[in-house]
Amino acid sequence: MFDIKLSDSGEVVLSGRFDAAQVEKAKAILDRLTVTTSVDFKDLNYVSSAGLGVLMATQKRLGDKGQKLILKNVTGHIRDIFRIARFDLIFEID
Amino acid sequence: MPSVQKQFKRQLDSLVKVFDFIDQFVARENVDDDAKGVVCLAVEELFTNMIKYEGANSNDISLELRVDGEMIIVQLVDHDVEPFDMTKRPVPDLGALLKDRKPGGLGIFLTQKLVDDMQYQYVDRTSIITLKKNFRRKYV
Repeated sequence: MFDIKLSDSGEVVLSGRFDAAQVEKAKAILDRLTVTTSVDFKDLNYVSSAGLGVLMATQKRLGDKGQKLILKNVTGHIRDIFRIARFDLIFEID
Repeated sequence: MPSVQKQFKRQLDSLVKVFDFIDQFVARENVDDDAKGVVCLAVEELFTNMIKYEGANSNDISLELRVDGEMIIVQLVDHDVEPFDMTKRPVPDLGALLKDRKPGGLGIFLTQKLVDDMQYQYVDRTSIITLKKNFRRKYV
């Protein structure tokens, strides 16, 4: 079960399994972002290329305005995927 | 150990059932979480490509899972389709600047990097993709 929330502090919190069927649900939150925002991966246990594509599109859109996503708590299997996809070149990963 | 095999409708909503099917199999075989994650990702990437490139096809997609020693063997079979060898997709430019990066091709690239073997066959208008992933048992 995938979930995405915008916390009171303005941080995006992801949880569950971010697969291709969850793209629209994620975009509904990420498309609202207009300033630099942290995204917490602590409770996310899976992401596929569809999820990576949504994050990349958001980073491009924010980058055009001088803003960005900052990714937090990216660990384990998901960190391996980010490394292979060379997301370290296009995201700040805390 | 016998294989398990199931047919899934060619739609994104099938992913929930696909993952349930994989979850039950890896639990039965005590597969470690890293290998489970790779199998889920590989199957999703291949399955969604089959939806994308054969969207008008009404045939279900078959998924078979089995274990041979310390290897999980995954086979996806897609009937009555045009040939589409996903093992020969161009490698995305991962060093490009953000503005030039494109998401296309990333899923198959990740799959090829994460599995130990990936083979494509095309026989009688049927695409057969076979993956192998080494794994460790969570407990004996």
